[in-house]
Amino acid sequence: MATEHNDIETALNRRYEAGFVTDIETEYLPPGLSEDVIRELSAKKHEPQWMTDWRLKAYRHWLTMPVPEWAKLKIGPIDFQAISYYAAPKARPKSLAEVDPKLLETYDKLGVPLHERAKLAGVAVDAVFDSVSVGTTFRKELAEAGVIFCSLSEAIQEHPELVQKYLSSVVPIGDNYFAALNCAVFSDGSFVFIPKGVRCPMELSTYFRINAVNTGQFERTLIIAEEGSYVSYLEGCTAPQRDENQLHAAVVELVALDDAQIKYSTVQNWYPGDENGVGGIYNFVTKRGDCRGARSKISWTQVETGSAITWKYPSCVLRGDDSTGEFYSVALTHHAQQADTGTKMIHIGRNTKSKIISKGISAGRGQNSYRGLVKVEKSASGARNYTQCDSLLIGKKCGAHTFPYIEVKHPSAIVEHEATTSKISDDQLFYCRSRGLGEEDAVSMIVDGFCKQVFKELPMEFAVEAKKLLEVSLEGAVG
Amino acid sequence: MSAPLLLQELERGFAALSGRQRDAAGLGAARREQLAAALADGLPGARAERWRHTSLRALERRAFSPLPASADIDAATLAAIPGPRIVFVNGVFAAALSQLDGIDGVVAMPLSSALETGTARDVDFLARRFEAADETFARLNAAFALDGLLLQVGAGVQVAEPLALVMLGAAGDAEHAVHLRHCIQLGDGARLTLCEYQLAATPQAHLVNSLMHLHLRSGARLDHVRVQAEDAGATVLARSDVVLGSAADYRRIDLEIGANLSRHELNVALQGKAARLSASGVLLADGRRHVDTRLQIDHIARDTACELTWRGLAADRGRAVFHGGIAIRAGADGTAAQLSNKNLLLSANAEIDTQPVLEIHADEVQASHGATVGQLDEAALFYLRSRGVPEQAARTLLTLAFCRVVLDGIGNESLRERTDALLSARLLQVAA
Amino acid sequence: MLKIENLHVSVAGKEILKGLDLAVRPGEVHAIMGPNGAGKSTLGNVLAGRDGYEITAGTVDFGDKDLLQLEPEERAAEGLFLAFQYPVEIPGVNNTYFLKAALNAQRKYRGESELDSMQFLKLVREKLRVLHISDELLHRAVNAGFSGGEKKRNEIFQMALLEPRVAILDETDSGLDIDALKMVAEGVNHMRSPERAFVVITHYQRLLDYIVPDYVHVLAEGRIVESGDKTLAHKLEQHGYAWLDERRVPERATP
Repeated sequence: MATEHNDIETALNRRYEAGFVTDIETEYLPPGLSEDVIRELSAKKHEPQWMTDWRLKAYRHWLTMPVPEWAKLKIGPIDFQAISYYAAPKARPKSLAEVDPKLLETYDKLGVPLHERAKLAGVAVDAVFDSVSVGTTFRKELAEAGVIFCSLSEAIQEHPELVQKYLSSVVPIGDNYFAALNCAVFSDGSFVFIPKGVRCPMELSTYFRINAVNTGQFERTLIIAEEGSYVSYLEGCTAPQRDENQLHAAVVELVALDDAQIKYSTVQNWYPGDENGVGGIYNFVTKRGDCRGARSKISWTQVETGSAITWKYPSCVLRGDDSTGEFYSVALTHHAQQADTGTKMIHIGRNTKSKIISKGISAGRGQNSYRGLVKVEKSASGARNYTQCDSLLIGKKCGAHTFPYIEVKHPSAIVEHEATTSKISDDQLFYCRSRGLGEEDAVSMIVDGFCKQVFKELPMEFAVEAKKLLEVSLEGAVG
Repeated sequence: MSAPLLLQELERGFAALSGRQRDAAGLGAARREQLAAALADGLPGARAERWRHTSLRALERRAFSPLPASADIDAATLAAIPGPRIVFVNGVFAAALSQLDGIDGVVAMPLSSALETGTARDVDFLARRFEAADETFARLNAAFALDGLLLQVGAGVQVAEPLALVMLGAAGDAEHAVHLRHCIQLGDGARLTLCEYQLAATPQAHLVNSLMHLHLRSGARLDHVRVQAEDAGATVLARSDVVLGSAADYRRIDLEIGANLSRHELNVALQGKAARLSASGVLLADGRRHVDTRLQIDHIARDTACELTWRGLAADRGRAVFHGGIAIRAGADGTAAQLSNKNLLLSANAEIDTQPVLEIHADEVQASHGATVGQLDEAALFYLRSRGVPEQAARTLLTLAFCRVVLDGIGNESLRERTDALLSARLLQVAA
Repeated sequence: MLKIENLHVSVAGKEILKGLDLAVRPGEVHAIMGPNGAGKSTLGNVLAGRDGYEITAGTVDFGDKDLLQLEPEERAAEGLFLAFQYPVEIPGVNNTYFLKAALNAQRKYRGESELDSMQFLKLVREKLRVLHISDELLHRAVNAGFSGGEKKRNEIFQMALLEPRVAILDETDSGLDIDALKMVAEGVNHMRSPERAFVVITHYQRLLDYIVPDYVHVLAEGRIVESGDKTLAHKLEQHGYAWLDERRVPERATP
């Protein structure tokens, strides 16, 4: 038995390579949630009074909200008093040069370039470790272009007018249960501001890492693209392997003004729990983009392979005339993972267009749901939507579900939705194998092909990472 | 919070039923229990997921009398519907209009007769409990239904002539809540064509709440055409619960072309291996009509198949709502499921809501669905006009063509032609 | 009977036809040739009345009518027929039903009595026989699932049935093998008469071996740049469209 147990252990460790813990001195707020905790959190971060008041308002609203009923997810009750709402490395660096070498090592192991030599990688990174941002690279170069890229905490101190103008302008305080909780307790996150006419000179990225035990991570990202600007933003997430479920409730808000474009890519690889569904992150995220300006465009691309439970619907409010929203998604659930993800495309402006490509892969006992809404309001003449949702089944105990809602109120709209569900075809598998491929290789090749439409939307480095992630996540899924 | 007027009035009406009606076949307790459940949970509101797109706000403030009240109908009304047929007027069996004699191997009778004379076993389906809080209308049906069609086709019996089930609404001294409960069973290898009509003999604004149980045993085949062409004032709530045995073959077509508010729930359980379902329909929401069809197809056994083809039209201030749910349970391997829902949105004040759903828990399946909302094809319109067809006629022609695909499944040729003519005539009234 | 003068047409702000002139008299067959993108198909579509073409200048007279003022169905009823380059598939509309509806609508417009089913079928049989077409395509939906050749054949059949005064064939030869091409040509030749005119739009000379034109026009950059008899088509075939460029007087030197 013991050896067998060890084998599984090894297999698991191989599968989730980001499962290590960084041994670093951490400062915690004691577990529990109350107005006092929120005041203390706000004070620790030296926030102005308006910010503290905003948090308290959200908290009071949250208390009145019912816990959401889960349509297709099985979730145990969450004890919000057992969570510590703030955890941060004790040594607070003033610049990247002062960052604890252990932390740098952590990001190194994860393949995230924080060192100066990382300049070679050509990607500006904001690294969020537990509750706080530990460093942002390339700030000087970005500042020269007029781009602001810093942690949200810093933005509150240094650009309060921008934060006050845009924070919660896309996702209102009371939008949903977890968004309200996030408003009350969010600790840090990234802030991006691209001024008028600027094409951001490099990819921006934020790397989220949950390290501390018994904490939740509640980060918040705000990206503003002024008229005619462009930015591509990447987000990656990992966490150590633990037996408890940890809560991650983030909010992302995007604002695109006239002719602006925002491309937002996510590779989510939070710890998924073990084969039996023990542990893993509860990933409850509210992501919404507001195409506020004419001809603006927001494009979401996500590869979701981690988390015990994923609940997120990156959405676009197509307010500006001729604006465009896109959603490209690959979601994989293996073992006992559950994912309920999709998007909302709300067509308000004239000649607005949206495109949804969703690829769900279910293996083991994984449950994978696409849930989406395409809504064409009375004002949205000439609106167009195309949706394609495909699901792939690997194994007999998994589930794949599709719940699209289509609501159309303008007679010039054209909305098309197509969905298919099938298992990997025996013919395809046999063909690959007869050409000499092993079964697992054949499966990952077919899966890769299945996801191609989404992967090609990712920046190159991310596409490679995403492909690898799918491969390791699917290990042991066949045979 | 007190119950809405609709339910209050029905509760009063229940008390006014005769004890003989209420307690026939020992069903009194079951009827009372289901009524109590309906009153306790009320009508489903906007938050009930299954009623998300259909509001009962206006309906719940209306009062209907649940006391059965037939009316005299001119037999000429039914000239277009040849026998054999069974006719109900305002929910009451109309013997004079019905022709049920001489179909070999078939037992057909009104539920009211069975309740008076039959054993409890014949009507045990009436005791079924409806547990979900939003099954208000099924509960009300369980409480009030006193009539309907009981039909049994013996094993191996092949009935050549289509059998018509006609539900007529006729004006009377009150607006009625009409409750009908039908139970149709086909034995092993039996075959039948059933035409179900929900029609208005005279203009009225009744509430028709009908519930049909259908059971096809092994290898049975049922061709079922349902036409709902009620008066523009009427409210229709219909539910069909279907169970298919192994290799049973069920083909149905629904034309939803009438009523003010119409909701049809079609629940099909493919329980036997290799059972097949083909269901198609047209939803026509013109004027101020609200037409809602909700399919829930449950693949339980292996190698089952369904093909669902629905077309929706919304014009004027109409709203067409469609939900196409397909569930494939664990173990239902080898299942093939396909759904197509296409819609035409023809006016600025109309609305289409569609939701195709797949829930799949089995391996080895081929499932797909597609839904579209759009307009008539401009290229086709120009082509027709370039050949001399005037624009309005070309639009009507294309609208008809858009819907006609659903009629292809009707095997009986004369029935298909009659149904086509009915649909065509109705579509001519739509301003495309 | 068809007189086009100084026709200027734009599509999405881009001028495609730039002052096209053409006069077609009864009994004549005109071939319009030209390189890709010259505006050949635009001409056919504009004459038939398709949306999306902005006529910025010029006139088109058809008999005593101002063609550009007429709806597409009125143009058809006046006797104009366009054989489409890409005939549209219309699933659900039966071919026979469609033709009867079209023919009777045209007859009604012209104040003629409508044909009943018997009369119509008789007419259909007659046309089928002449064209050597099987009646199988009558039972199918309009062009739905037809092969390329079947679609073109169906266009010619419709033309035979509707008996237009002017028929425009928009690249009817494209994508056809030689047998299908001959069949189309036979159909057209059979319909040639002193009262009826044809405008045959084509990229290749090949079709003109079978439908011999009275006039050949070369359409390039939105106008007729060269007209002649059937020998012009052969010259084009030999020298290619580039040969025209050398012969053409430059419009105006751009500064």
